[in-house]
Amino acid sequence: MTAILEIRGITKQFGGLSALAGVDFTVGEGELVGLVGPNGAGKSTLFNIIAGAFPPTAGAVLLKGRDITRLASHDRARHGIARTFQQVTLFGELTARDNVLQGLHRHVASRFLAGLVGTPGYRGEQRELVARAERVLDLLGIGEHRDELVSEQPLGIQKLLTVAVALATEPTVLLLDEPGAGLSHEESTRMMDLVATVIRRRCTIVLVEHNMRIVSRYCDRAIVLHFGQKIYDGEPAGLTADRRVVDAYLGVAELA
Amino acid sequence: MEVYLPLLAQGLAIGVLTGILYVLVALGLTLIYGILHIVNFAHGEIYMLGAMAVLYLHVVAGLALVPTLVVIVALALLLGLCIERGIFRVLRGQWLQLVVASVGVSLVIQSIGWIAFGIQEKSVPSYLPGIVDLFGIRLPRERLLAAGVAVVLVAALYWLVYRTRVGLAMRAIEEDEETARMLGVNANRVASLSVALGFVLAAVAGAFVAPIYSLNPGMGLEPILMSFLIIIVGGLGSITGTVLAGLLVGVLQSVGAILFGSEAAYGLVFVVMIAVLVVRPAGLLGRV
Amino acid sequence: MKAAGFGVLLLALVTLPPLAEPYMLHVAIVVLMNVVYAEALYVIMRMGYLSFGHAGYIAVGAYTSALLATKLDVSVWLGFLAGGAVAALLAWLLGAITLKLRGIYFSLSVFAFAEVVNAVFRAFDFFGGPAGIAGVPRPMFFGTRLNTHLGFYYVVLAAAVFSLVFLYRLAATRFGFTLLALRTRDTEGLAESVGIDAARYKTLAFVASCFFCGLMGAIHGHYLRFVSPFVFTFFFSTDLVIFNMVGGLGSFWGPLAGSVLLTTLGEQLFAAGYYKSLVYAVVLLVVILALPGGLIQVPRLREVWAARRLRWARQPVATTER
Repeated sequence: MTAILEIRGITKQFGGLSALAGVDFTVGEGELVGLVGPNGAGKSTLFNIIAGAFPPTAGAVLLKGRDITRLASHDRARHGIARTFQQVTLFGELTARDNVLQGLHRHVASRFLAGLVGTPGYRGEQRELVARAERVLDLLGIGEHRDELVSEQPLGIQKLLTVAVALATEPTVLLLDEPGAGLSHEESTRMMDLVATVIRRRCTIVLVEHNMRIVSRYCDRAIVLHFGQKIYDGEPAGLTADRRVVDAYLGVAELA
Repeated sequence: MEVYLPLLAQGLAIGVLTGILYVLVALGLTLIYGILHIVNFAHGEIYMLGAMAVLYLHVVAGLALVPTLVVIVALALLLGLCIERGIFRVLRGQWLQLVVASVGVSLVIQSIGWIAFGIQEKSVPSYLPGIVDLFGIRLPRERLLAAGVAVVLVAALYWLVYRTRVGLAMRAIEEDEETARMLGVNANRVASLSVALGFVLAAVAGAFVAPIYSLNPGMGLEPILMSFLIIIVGGLGSITGTVLAGLLVGVLQSVGAILFGSEAAYGLVFVVMIAVLVVRPAGLLGRV
Repeated sequence: MKAAGFGVLLLALVTLPPLAEPYMLHVAIVVLMNVVYAEALYVIMRMGYLSFGHAGYIAVGAYTSALLATKLDVSVWLGFLAGGAVAALLAWLLGAITLKLRGIYFSLSVFAFAEVVNAVFRAFDFFGGPAGIAGVPRPMFFGTRLNTHLGFYYVVLAAAVFSLVFLYRLAATRFGFTLLALRTRDTEGLAESVGIDAARYKTLAFVASCFFCGLMGAIHGHYLRFVSPFVFTFFFSTDLVIFNMVGGLGSFWGPLAGSVLLTTLGEQLFAAGYYKSLVYAVVLLVVILALPGGLIQVPRLREVWAARRLRWARQPVATTER
């Protein structure tokens, strides 16, 4: 399997605090990897570094063999990295369709001047993009909300919308930050089913998850972070057996 | 150089007094902005109204000073409550509308001020004329009085915010509103009180600064800009920060004027302020 | 249908003026200028930036052109372009710093810029000091100097049509749509994550906005035939914000409606500047409180009010700035 995403020796220090210490792993094309760990383990920090929100103190991130460690986040999106955020972040005053339309930014081919003048090419492209946005919404089963304001949607729909926006960029690697957080059991199952089928076919996925059951059920592989270090990298089934993992999660009933 | 020393000492003393005046004027804004994060542009106009009230009640109508102040406090309280209820509360959550609305209120008050009070500059005679001579440094009694009032009010504000239940409620709302509400804090009352107090502080500041500078309906603009500057540099939400920044600006302006001239001093103040913000974007004592 | 309406309007604007009195032409000129200023500001407000200092860029345009015409005898037409260019350049240079600021910090920084500009103009004799520069000439058009209201009206009309078409296309196209994604710091982060180079878009928008301010500012200066630090003041900037808010930020037509309405209203109240300010401020407050989306929401009034009552019920007391 070709390595799509390589994390090499990523270290991140915030002042005196070491958030990540020499994290190494590789994600293969088409894999669905679960990134787990107790709160404060460094999962979101790692995501931020991969997505380009801030640079690591040391180490490198490679996408399809290309070093993207120093690239600005909007450049990374162009190279194929998309993400969702832990807190639901959407373009609040826009409709669902418009949100996804923003996500399609990367695919706009026409130049500024064409848009300004309003050439037929530009107009055709705009229509195309709207159709594409609607297809993404339909793909995730939320097409009926296309004309509604995202700020007025319940959390379950909003979380699906955040995934829709990220998916619109047609990423190579999709980083999902706790897609199931705050959702009811049915909603989170619906989300994960979509992730494991429809979305998975389109890109490689790394997701941050607290729920071990979800990781065991859906992920090909699990990587466990603890105090910024990788302590496990392998089959989800082996999680409960691994001593270091159990120690780290001591007291959490979900492991059983 | 020897000629300079007494001059510098004088400048420093006046600078400290001026700084305390700036703090006095900025207090009301610190309260409202620090707790409710509302940018109250009308602050300068309330200050102006306080000064004008002294002119018309005390100087023109002859009302004694203390009753005048009581009336000013009462009116400011009322105005604050009305504006909080009628405007700020309605626009909660809409930052843009709030800012522009407060600019609107400021414009309304200022326009009415120009129409009612006219363009001629007026002045209020000193409450405490005379100069105190302290080791060769001449300090106008008027400014000492205003500084004294400022110190009392700063102390009172500290006491209110850090030693009373009301203050605790205010700090709770500022820090984590949802939890505060769940714990029984009446957010609406805190909001009303904060705004009303902020207005009172502004009006009282105007009343005591009135004899020091001349009055005109547009006098609120500079104080509000200075106040914003001081609050931002001092750090939002920090009374101590406001005090420090106010003193810093006052001293810089005064000493700078002696060394470089008043226009350059003004520029110097801006430069130093920007430098502080570059080094510490959250302000001197601000918490991000 | 819409195109026909505009055609008729344009026709009226072109053919009717020779029949109008000079005073009405004056009002028309001021309205056109204010519409362009307001729409230029609209570009910035669309991306969530509140500017109380646009008068500064307008003043830069006005002074640039005035100086070129009076000191270097440069053709007024070139002066117009130079005004726009200098304002745009300044916007580009300052934008790098100021656009990184958000909320009230940005507003204060542009305001500071405008005040510094006026202070500089007041301080140095080169700019004419507090008295400003007088004798700013009208442009020459095939041998005649356009000294009449009518003649200059067509200059303003042409510039306004050009500017508004450009500004409209900016707002109505993909570019304007992308600006909506940059409204708050959070959405900016989201925008970056989908590949939008926020800094570039913001700078482009800011530069475009200031170019048209400078251009119209230059024209403004040549219309008045003088420039001074007391024309393009903080109150001028505030007026532009008021036009935007009263008209409504939901569409390009909002600021247009706001500026047309308030400018004509203002020109009627020629008693004193203070009465005009009072009326503007009162109208602003009424609109903000009753019609938060501005006048353009009037057709949908009932649903706006219903939605508002619902939203108001769950607002936090402490309003975080965007």
